[in-house]
Amino acid sequence: MKLAYYPGCSLKGTSFEYEVSLLKILEAMNIEIKEIPDWNCCGASAAHSINHNLAIALPARNLAIAEKDGCESVLAPCAACSNRLKNADYELKNDDILKKKITDSLEMPYDSKMSINNMLEFLIGTVGKDKIKSMVKKPLSGLKVASYYGCLLVRPPKVMQFDDPENPVTMDELVALTGAEPVDYSFKTECCGAINSLSKPDVVMALTGNVLYDIKKHGADLVVVACPLCHSNLDVRQREIERKYDEKLGLPVLFITELLGLSFGIDPKDLAIDGHMVAADKVLKKIDQNI
Amino acid sequence: MKTVINEQSRRNFAAQVESMLHDKLAKCYQCGKCSAGCPVNFEMDYTPNQIIKMTELGMEDTVLNSKTIWLCVSCNTCSTRCPKGFEVTGIMDVLREIAEKKGVTSKVEKEVQMFHEVFLDNVKSNGRIFELELVGKYKLKTRHLFRDMFLAPKMLEKGKLKMHGEKIADLNQIAKIFKDFE
Repeated sequence: MKLAYYPGCSLKGTSFEYEVSLLKILEAMNIEIKEIPDWNCCGASAAHSINHNLAIALPARNLAIAEKDGCESVLAPCAACSNRLKNADYELKNDDILKKKITDSLEMPYDSKMSINNMLEFLIGTVGKDKIKSMVKKPLSGLKVASYYGCLLVRPPKVMQFDDPENPVTMDELVALTGAEPVDYSFKTECCGAINSLSKPDVVMALTGNVLYDIKKHGADLVVVACPLCHSNLDVRQREIERKYDEKLGLPVLFITELLGLSFGIDPKDLAIDGHMVAADKVLKKIDQNI
Repeated sequence: MKTVINEQSRRNFAAQVESMLHDKLAKCYQCGKCSAGCPVNFEMDYTPNQIIKMTELGMEDTVLNSKTIWLCVSCNTCSTRCPKGFEVTGIMDVLREIAEKKGVTSKVEKEVQMFHEVFLDNVKSNGRIFELELVGKYKLKTRHLFRDMFLAPKMLEKGKLKMHGEKIADLNQIAKIFKDFE
């Protein structure tokens, strides 16, 4: 089965670490993906915020191209992209009038048979737990890891059709496969402030601060995420949050693909872990001491 | 507060919202669960359940000029928890879209609105987001030139800020999408 890959804009920019580590672990597992030719931005939160039809048409172009390319399944590692692709697919399935308008505009058909996967669905569903477990060469035992899901992976549930919207566990299961200990805490699906990072930084720091301090309180060594927006807010803004609330956090934020890569025994440099704003040195040292 | 509501304009506004939303305003029985779980409720001038009721009452100016519609981050906590399955997040999208089409500029939360506009302009001209250009244009527009600038040196050092953006090949199709739906 041909697997389409929709990287989205963040993975080519501020969250390049996510793409680097994803491609590295796929290479290790011998899994091939094919980038959607000439893909365009999904419109993210901006499009659906002020123009509903545009918010469906922009992702629809990518889905139609992938379908034309002979793919039945698409991987969108960015939570916002997978959310928008699933939303577009849902609307096209349920609104024939809008579907006609959009396919006429695109001058491309769309059969709505594409299976759209976020990073976690892809890892658990397409790759499978057994395969991942067999890849673990360097178990991360003794490491306490908090999985932060945020909003877009699980909500709205009727469209996302993924895990429990209030208490998801998929990422925790992946963490357990690496030999690390999943940390239970309260703010797993509380919003980080997402798109308002630039326009309302104070609000975003309050929300992200709530998440990070709760994770800290529950004794985690690090946080894993599967969303570039969550990563930006938790990692890039962390120093500012520490200053604002005058309390040290020092929590490295890794993408789930990086954590898996570490447990596969891949060099942290090849996973671009040095690309984060909060250094992960302490965590890496702890992993090295395990062997 | 001035609340003189003409029945015909009340009906028109409520009907416009309902047709864009594909949902019925009367479904909401004002339990307030949406507002209790809203992560940004502490900054809002009206709670989400108040916005729903005011829309039903035809208080168009008040809802379109509220801080609430622009502060909503579309996290979908409200819609997920609504006991009636009402599209609470959806109504925020609809009200923002109506405000945008009518040229209603938010007086207090105009930066959020500007960010969305600059973002879509960037998609229109490149087909993809060129982050540095997006941030630059947003800063020029809002005149917050120095806010967050202290983050830039380290982000550059880490390779997070790319100096060149990518343009897609078929920009004509993107232009057509915008022409058809903007």
